[in-house]
Amino acid sequence: MISEASLVDQLKDKGTQSQAFEVLINTYKERLYWHIRRIVLDHDDADDVLQNTFIKVYKNIDGFKGDSKLFSWMYRIATNEALSFLKVKSKKLGISNEELQNHIVDNLRADVYFEGEEIQLKLQKAIAELPEKQKLVFNMRYFEELKYEEISKILDTSVGALKASYHLAAKKIEAFLKSD
Amino acid sequence: MKEKDKHSGFKTPEGYFEGFNESLMDKIKEQSHSIPKNDGMTVPDGYFESLNQQILSKAKAGETKVIPLHNNYKKYYLTAIAVAASLLLIIGLQWKNENAYTFDDLAASEIEQYFEAHDFDMTSYEIAEIMPIDDLQIEDMLLKEIKDENIADYLNDNIDMFEELNLENHDY
Repeated sequence: MISEASLVDQLKDKGTQSQAFEVLINTYKERLYWHIRRIVLDHDDADDVLQNTFIKVYKNIDGFKGDSKLFSWMYRIATNEALSFLKVKSKKLGISNEELQNHIVDNLRADVYFEGEEIQLKLQKAIAELPEKQKLVFNMRYFEELKYEEISKILDTSVGALKASYHLAAKKIEAFLKSD
Repeated sequence: MKEKDKHSGFKTPEGYFEGFNESLMDKIKEQSHSIPKNDGMTVPDGYFESLNQQILSKAKAGETKVIPLHNNYKKYYLTAIAVAASLLLIIGLQWKNENAYTFDDLAASEIEQYFEAHDFDMTSYEIAEIMPIDDLQIEDMLLKEIKDENIADYLNDNIDMFEELNLENHDY
């Protein structure tokens, strides 16, 4: 497997850029897709955001200094793209971000790409109730199984604060799931 | 705790054993709650397989082709660009002058509306800190003019001790 440093070099070189970009897409497309999907919830929206994320990476690779890992940099772009997407969507609909979250969760029942039972619907409702940061940390740790150190680099938050956020989020979700 | 086994040559990351208890407890806590691990989300069949081509074509579509300017046409292009830029500059400057609004152009009602519509979450002390009070007159804050005798009457009725006015060190 190609090392990250040489992949970055190849991405910056016009001669090898296309091939390296395809390697990059193959390596990260599924992980980034699920990361984005858990923020925007709808498949078509996730597809739009994912493509925009890769296009941004492609166009800005020359500006990537290598201070952080390519992986964290891409996750950060994906997170920002997904959150901005939701902000624009809520503005277009003339509703608040919280109202939009509830609206999306309510629509999940009719979503052909959601095969969850009542418990999964309730789980999404519980996650939608969380503050933005707790929501991100919970999804990244619980579903994506990223390490706290990795999340710390992506969200630029200390490991201690992330652990606190995660446990708080898990407690709230558990309480929500137990409620009627 | 040893972080290097002298017989096999294997090593562990620095501080591995010191942080082991904590990370183990984190893991146990995470696995002990009743939150489902399956979130029910799926993707269309073959979605990830067709994704590469879509992204590659979109990423490349954004790239603009570089068209070489032949020497014969170069000066005409440059002249045209210079004329267009000058026109834009003139129009832009005039437009900017016509639309240069100042704070005085805002109607008081618009300013009031803005403050009412936005929650600034500031205490009266914080507002007092940023408000210049040197040029402020009492009339600026009152809708009706208050006569001096009314102020004197109010003070007579409401202030028991003259000291409460805290007027020391001032020349009146």
